[in-house]
Amino acid sequence: MLQDKTIGNRLFDMFNYAVLLLMALLCVLPFVYVLAVSFASPAEVAKGGLILWPKEWSLASYRYIFSTDTLFRSLLVSIYITVVGTFINLLFTSLMAYPLAKPHLRGRQAILLAVLFTMLFGGGMIPTYFVVKALHLTNTLWSLMIPGAISAFNLIVLKNFFQQIPDGLEDSARIDGCNDVGVLFRIVLPLSLPAMATFGLFYAVGHWNQFFNAILYINDNTKWPIQVLLREIVILASSSIGDNSIDNTEIQPLTIRMAVIVFATVPILLVYPFLQKHFAKGVMLGSVKG
Amino acid sequence: MKKQAASVMGGVMLATAVLSACSSGSEGQAGAGGSSKPGEDTKPFALSIVANQVGEIPPKGNPLEQALAKYTNTTPEFQWIPASAYDDKVNVMMASGELPKLIKVNYVPTIINAMKSDQFWEIGPYLKDYKNLSAQPSSYFDNIKVEGKLYGIPIFRDIGRAVVHYRKDWFDAAGLKVPKSLDDWYNVLKAVAESDPDKNGKKDTYGFLLDKAYNQGTASTLTRLSVAQGGPNKWKVDDQGTFTPEFMTEEFFATMKLFKRLYDEKLINQDFSVVDAATNDKSYEAGRVALRISGGNAQSMQTNLVKVVPTAVVDAAPLEGPSGIRVPGESGNAGIWAIPKSSVKTEAEMKKVLSFLDKLLDKEMVYLINKGVEGKHYKVEGDFTIPLDKDADAKEVKPYRDTLIQRGEAYNMDKPMKETDLFLKNKKLVSGNEKYAVNNPALTLLSDTYTERGKELEQMITDAETKFIMGKIDEAGWKAEMDKWKKAGGDKLMQEYKEAYLKNKK
Repeated sequence: MLQDKTIGNRLFDMFNYAVLLLMALLCVLPFVYVLAVSFASPAEVAKGGLILWPKEWSLASYRYIFSTDTLFRSLLVSIYITVVGTFINLLFTSLMAYPLAKPHLRGRQAILLAVLFTMLFGGGMIPTYFVVKALHLTNTLWSLMIPGAISAFNLIVLKNFFQQIPDGLEDSARIDGCNDVGVLFRIVLPLSLPAMATFGLFYAVGHWNQFFNAILYINDNTKWPIQVLLREIVILASSSIGDNSIDNTEIQPLTIRMAVIVFATVPILLVYPFLQKHFAKGVMLGSVKG
Repeated sequence: MKKQAASVMGGVMLATAVLSACSSGSEGQAGAGGSSKPGEDTKPFALSIVANQVGEIPPKGNPLEQALAKYTNTTPEFQWIPASAYDDKVNVMMASGELPKLIKVNYVPTIINAMKSDQFWEIGPYLKDYKNLSAQPSSYFDNIKVEGKLYGIPIFRDIGRAVVHYRKDWFDAAGLKVPKSLDDWYNVLKAVAESDPDKNGKKDTYGFLLDKAYNQGTASTLTRLSVAQGGPNKWKVDDQGTFTPEFMTEEFFATMKLFKRLYDEKLINQDFSVVDAATNDKSYEAGRVALRISGGNAQSMQTNLVKVVPTAVVDAAPLEGPSGIRVPGESGNAGIWAIPKSSVKTEAEMKKVLSFLDKLLDKEMVYLINKGVEGKHYKVEGDFTIPLDKDADAKEVKPYRDTLIQRGEAYNMDKPMKETDLFLKNKKLVSGNEKYAVNNPALTLLSDTYTERGKELEQMITDAETKFIMGKIDEAGWKAEMDKWKKAGGDKLMQEYKEAYLKNKK
């Protein structure tokens, strides 16, 4: 193989590697920077000398963010809504997608049109708020999980995925005595693992990034997910609120902000490698053959 | 059979959704329904309060809140909302009628409209019955009036906040003086940029830095400098009520020309039109910049700076022009406490809320809100109070200090906090500025054009200013931009302000 390559080919390969390496670095370096700043001493950052590797390591910022229980509490809230919320999403999305995948379901077209309609036209912030309020969901974590339980787009993609599962499989399951629920949970869902993993990840990231709805629907600040807190800490440094008062305490240093960003990003990053193999398969839904 | 099963499944799905929604339980809305029967005045008054979050949210029932409740005979129920979504959340609350009894609002078009349509109590006529509230300077109240009526109590903030912070060590070494005229400014900035005051052999120092908001809002550097030179604060009005925007005045244009010259000669940062204030702050803290016109306190600049440059000395000076101190007057508030009519139904109840606000300015409460709980956050020593725990202060006192009403030492406080001389000097400058504040005559005037297109019109001029300073348009181009502004609605805006001004004057 190798000897087949002309100089031109090799140059082309080298060029390719160089470009790919550059792209990879462009993606990774911001993370390294955030990580480095979070571990650097505030004075070094203030001097502006830090580029990618701190000279003086310091855990001061992490000590600071762990000194209050708010961060942990909101992290737990985020984990809770991500886990429970994603479960609800997957359950309801597949429960609705499966019947819709059956051509003999009466009124299927009408239901699909109704679903499509919600993709194009939304009620807007205030009507949605009224719905949430009328269902007595305000100030509960359910308000972050129930209203968006089924994403119309994911539903349609999943329905198409289900349609590609050969009818013969289901028929033989029925012959063996399975009812509809059994077919779904014992045959169809296990076969759809890549799709479920993909949508699970989509939904989970959505829940993890939950921010605006939390502020709108939840009044009790002990129930705020981590993004609300994160945003406050990051924004706070650049806000000018309250500089009329007698205090002269320092603004939140950059290192603390970076530490909080690391703290809020790492958990969701950890989930990704475990879903990655399914993810690659799941995204290429169209090419799955029965 | 199959069909039935499928539709049953759909039904089950819906039912589960509804059931799980209901089973989550609904705790009553905090205080929204509040009970206060007339005649039971000894019972604490349940007071729901919505405020914007400052720093970390203090835990419920903390010592400060307890002291507040006891003194005012209320049970205050605070709901803190992050500043980043404050206005959205308030809009939702207003639309859904879930307002508390006391809410912090901002003087913005949606709120002004709500005030005009009587969604909040007009408290102007009642003010005289409250000894503390009525004792405050009327300019603070005038600045938040809507068509001459008062719909809330301002969260007091200094009116003339602009002061000059400068590196005294550099200035002394080079024999420089705090600039007054525009020529002074040019000379000082040139001297700093070219003489390498930090002696590191590199040309990396600046006289001052501009950020992308250099010409926006009340803290605009351009406006502050132009006012010091004798220009108007945003708008000029003559005896006939004719309004002229600041950028059509000569003083303003002269200041802009100075900026252009500084830019051409590379004496200010060349990326000023895109850079964030936070980025510039870092340069200041790293000791690369000589001075700034600031609304902050010189002491914080000093504190941050010595960490990097131990020999740095910061000083504060008034913003002076050839004819003495002149600073743009700001709105004098950091928001407004308003009393919604939908939750406070009766006049008697409204009076209770007002008397709560009034009590906040009693001596005991002034100390509590400014300094916290004695023995925990501060102690008294002679004529001063000494802070005990800066951390606890930032977490437990600052949220209340920044949101509840207080005027610091200016009202009902005889023992100031012991602070550094620089801090006190800065503070004195700011309170002295009140005398020299140049008011913005259009501050409380309503104009439909402004409500609809104000932001767009402002953006036009903001962009034109930046283009002029960067040399992308010349004087003729600038004039053309001003004409464009007039045609795009500026003329109408000026006319509407005139009408509103003359109407209010009568």
